[in-house]
Amino acid sequence: MPGLVGVSRASLLGAFLKMGLLGFGGVMPWARRVMVDERRWLTDREFAEMIGMCQVLPGPNVVNMAVVIGSRAAGPAGSLVALTGILFVPVIIVLVLAMFYASVAQLPMAHNAIAAASAAGAGLILGTATRLLISTRPPLRGLAMGIAAFVSIGLLHWPLLWVLPTLVALAIAIEWRVR
Amino acid sequence: MTIDFAVLGELAWRCAALSLVAIGGINAILPEVHRAVVELEHWMTSAQFAELFALAQLAPGPNAMVVALIGWQVAGVPGAFVATLAICGPSSLLCYAALHWWERLRHWPRRAIVQRALAPVAIGLILASGYTLARGADRTLVAAAITIGAGLALAFTRINPVWVLGLAALLGAAGWT
Repeated sequence: MPGLVGVSRASLLGAFLKMGLLGFGGVMPWARRVMVDERRWLTDREFAEMIGMCQVLPGPNVVNMAVVIGSRAAGPAGSLVALTGILFVPVIIVLVLAMFYASVAQLPMAHNAIAAASAAGAGLILGTATRLLISTRPPLRGLAMGIAAFVSIGLLHWPLLWVLPTLVALAIAIEWRVR
Repeated sequence: MTIDFAVLGELAWRCAALSLVAIGGINAILPEVHRAVVELEHWMTSAQFAELFALAQLAPGPNAMVVALIGWQVAGVPGAFVATLAICGPSSLLCYAALHWWERLRHWPRRAIVQRALAPVAIGLILASGYTLARGADRTLVAAAITIGAGLALAFTRINPVWVLGLAALLGAAGWT
């Protein structure tokens, strides 16, 4: 990522503050716009590759992205600066919003509005999963692993800390064999 | 307000453990967060959990903000910061360590196999998250219809999710419940 060489900490902070502040309904589209189109830190290809790697690693994808970009620009301090930019202000905003809601939650109108929004929120996640399913078109063995994950976690409420390593190991073993 | 360090500690270790299994991001671990804070610790109801998720989605910022709100609900403002740091800290350290192997990982011929194996598992987990949230949020037929409508809108159009949430909130405020 040669475009990141010599990027200052102030510039990093500004870029990640912007992504955090404008990222309504998801930070990823803004991340691409700010880093690829506006600042030209990354090419489209570098951006796509970085997102792919951040998705393989555990943790919030956007947060991993801040660690990678920050480090490439300015070492460990760069990672901390980028993390502060993407996390600190959104935490304050979401707390102010939640406190405001808590102060009006006894009003039926406010309560009904958030109840309906939470119904829509569930739909957004179901829609995201559907969209991913359509775009990746996993083969039968992949579908079986997805169903196993859904049933064990969504229906049976088994602990993720046990289920996930087992499923991941099994899924990789199966892919390896049919390679 | 007094700070309950026992609760903060409990919150910190639960979030820190989840940080390292969040393959597919925050949306993949919501059922486990729900299991911990609703079923095991009884810190909130299932409907409150779904409300916090909606509030976090209405604000800008990373998906991890829902964890900040859960921390806030459990232990006030200190809880919000502890939960955010704990959900982001361990995975960020791991990511930083992985940078060292970045180039080798980038050219690793088997990377595609691992990605192909992980994707369906992550999708199954995200589906489980949506189902968990829907069970908390959908107390009425209208709510279930809103869930289905929002799901279809996101799956088959390019609409920004914030508009979907905003429209649903307006419908709710207008008395469609």
